[in-house]
Amino acid sequence: MENTNEASFYQEYEVFSKKSVKAPIQHQFSLLAPNEEMALSMAVENFMRREDVLDVWVVKRSNIRAMTSEERMNWTKRLDNKDYRRTKGYGYLRQKWKEKEQGMLDEKEIMSWKEVKKK
Amino acid sequence: MYIYSGASQPEESSHVDDQEKYEQFMARIEAGEKIEADDWMPDDYRQALIKLISMHGISEIMGALPEKEWVPKAPTLKRKLGIMAKVQDEMGHGQLLLRVAEDLMRPYGKTRGDLMDDLLSGDLKFHNVFHMPTKTWADAGMVGWLVDGAAIISQTNMLDASYGPYQRALQRICQEEVFHAQHGEAIIMALAEGTEHQRQILQESLNRWWSALLMFFGPKSADTTGSSKQDIMIKYRIRKSSNEELRQAFLDKYLPRVFSLGLTVPDETAHYDEEKGEWVYQQPDWNEFKQIIKNKGPRSKERLRLREVAYENNRWVRQALTSEAVGS
Amino acid sequence: MMPVETAEEAKKDATYLKALKDLIYQCADDDFIISFRGSEWLGLAPHIEEDVAFSSITQNTMGHAVMFYSLLEELGEGKADALAHERQPDERRNAVYLEKKNGEGSYLGEPYYDWALTVVRNFLYETFKKVKLKAITNSSYQPLANVAEKVLMEQPYHLSHWRIWVEQLLASTEDARSRLEERLEEAWYAFGDVLELGQYATEMEHFQLMIGEDELKELWLEEVKTTIKDLPNGTPKKQLGSGREGEHTADFDQALEVLSEVYVSDENAIW
Repeated sequence: MENTNEASFYQEYEVFSKKSVKAPIQHQFSLLAPNEEMALSMAVENFMRREDVLDVWVVKRSNIRAMTSEERMNWTKRLDNKDYRRTKGYGYLRQKWKEKEQGMLDEKEIMSWKEVKKK
Repeated sequence: MYIYSGASQPEESSHVDDQEKYEQFMARIEAGEKIEADDWMPDDYRQALIKLISMHGISEIMGALPEKEWVPKAPTLKRKLGIMAKVQDEMGHGQLLLRVAEDLMRPYGKTRGDLMDDLLSGDLKFHNVFHMPTKTWADAGMVGWLVDGAAIISQTNMLDASYGPYQRALQRICQEEVFHAQHGEAIIMALAEGTEHQRQILQESLNRWWSALLMFFGPKSADTTGSSKQDIMIKYRIRKSSNEELRQAFLDKYLPRVFSLGLTVPDETAHYDEEKGEWVYQQPDWNEFKQIIKNKGPRSKERLRLREVAYENNRWVRQALTSEAVGS
Repeated sequence: MMPVETAEEAKKDATYLKALKDLIYQCADDDFIISFRGSEWLGLAPHIEEDVAFSSITQNTMGHAVMFYSLLEELGEGKADALAHERQPDERRNAVYLEKKNGEGSYLGEPYYDWALTVVRNFLYETFKKVKLKAITNSSYQPLANVAEKVLMEQPYHLSHWRIWVEQLLASTEDARSRLEERLEEAWYAFGDVLELGQYATEMEHFQLMIGEDELKELWLEEVKTTIKDLPNGTPKKQLGSGREGEHTADFDQALEVLSEVYVSDENAIW
């Protein structure tokens, strides 16, 4: 009994939390725990003692398929030639609409459409 | 094998492939990029990090002990809660840092248990200040104010460290240190503005801690004690400044405050030399420093014993929840 | 019974006031002594992550004690700090089982603290605290009912934390299970006074400050049974004495000496 190896007590868990209803879940840090119940019970007080927390995830690290160092190096670089998928590629419309005495439906305008006139 | 003591191994770059990787690595850190745990890194970088971060982490865990002596004794409900939260943070900092060190030790198959074993066997050292006694409540304040002040100076100096996980842990730690600084100041302020007895224990405490505080940053150069890691730390962009620069920054920030409280330091020669633009002070006894960090300081044995009893006595708990035992 | 809204109102009826103060002292002193025992553990727990989590629970619990002491301050009993640090053992109302040392040795040297005792004690206590405070939310003394309501906001985490420890250790090795069972046996000899309400129990019920002792005991036992199926027989005895009556052990003297060491070292000091 005395000599039982305790190495498997130390399992690695990644901890994620959500600060507010509008915030996405965010990675905090990792901790060691013997199982996920324990990991969850320790997570909040280890990493979020001074911030709001509405939800917590703990994920066993071995269950995460993360990019390897090489994949990060090779898969995360992009050419800067994709204006067509951003508003930047359509900026000329502002002038066109102006000529027709119309405003541009830009991000600011569209995000302000949360409310429409009540009937 | 990872190496805790002795000089770090020289970079072996005979292999062409490694040479290329090494150059790429240096280019990355020089461009301010962060290295992650599974990125290629030179052996001496990994070993310097393991040594630095495991010592930093275990020092937080050991550092909880001297202050903790005063946790149950703190004089008011508010102070009891404040110092408890502060010492809890130190344990929490140890947690963050040991996680970072553990991930670096992964290639060697080492885990938390090995770090504890290395601490107890004397292979893993802890910081000189945590070998010192805390004799009165004023010492609890002094640790919070000046020892933490010194720690803040050395930790903030590494906030841009090239190793990502360490840098992120330090970011968290330094944010909490702001609370620690004010917690320490609050204890000290009450003593400094308090009764005769309170002022007296405060001054005695500062006298006791002075040389340990000077030693905190390590010797000016390797000539003093025979080894110093400051050059490799700077070369690999782990920290920015030398030991002496950090010590001077500490004296700059804190000595005027010490004097403003009507306190003195036990070194009559200590003063700011306007011409040189630096603080002049008597060197602490660096031989004593060497003894202290070899676990031959005033309280080294007792602190290690405390850690050992707590660790061994609770082993059954960890054994009970291993996956073998609970079958998960 | 009409709700009593303020301290001033409570002071109008001497019997009501006595019963009320006794009840609040019990709540305050229980939380204070168990959080003191928790504070001795700091830095010495079986696992670093657990140490950090446990300390938050200890801080929360001491925070609850502060809230109860503040209610007593409003009732004219003196400053919260004086109530926590100056009162002699015979004035203390915490249950004796809660003052029991964490194990052999001391936090300053050779700390042979027992995690099994800590897990069992905290689980049984937090279960009791939940039941007791739930009852107090209906108390006729509004300021106390409000505090109970607030404390119950963060206390469920404490209970669930210790419940996980109990469940997991009981389901683990033979060694761990027998350590826990031994501590449970012990609790069945000593937990009795936790469940009591002291010399004003009848008045507390009469003034609707609190439910009666029998009901409290029953609710507690029911709740404990949802986690631990195999409990010792009967209900807990109080072989260490009754803290509710001001009886305390040498373990309490040790606690008092430590927790007030600095406080009493300079009577004129502001810390």
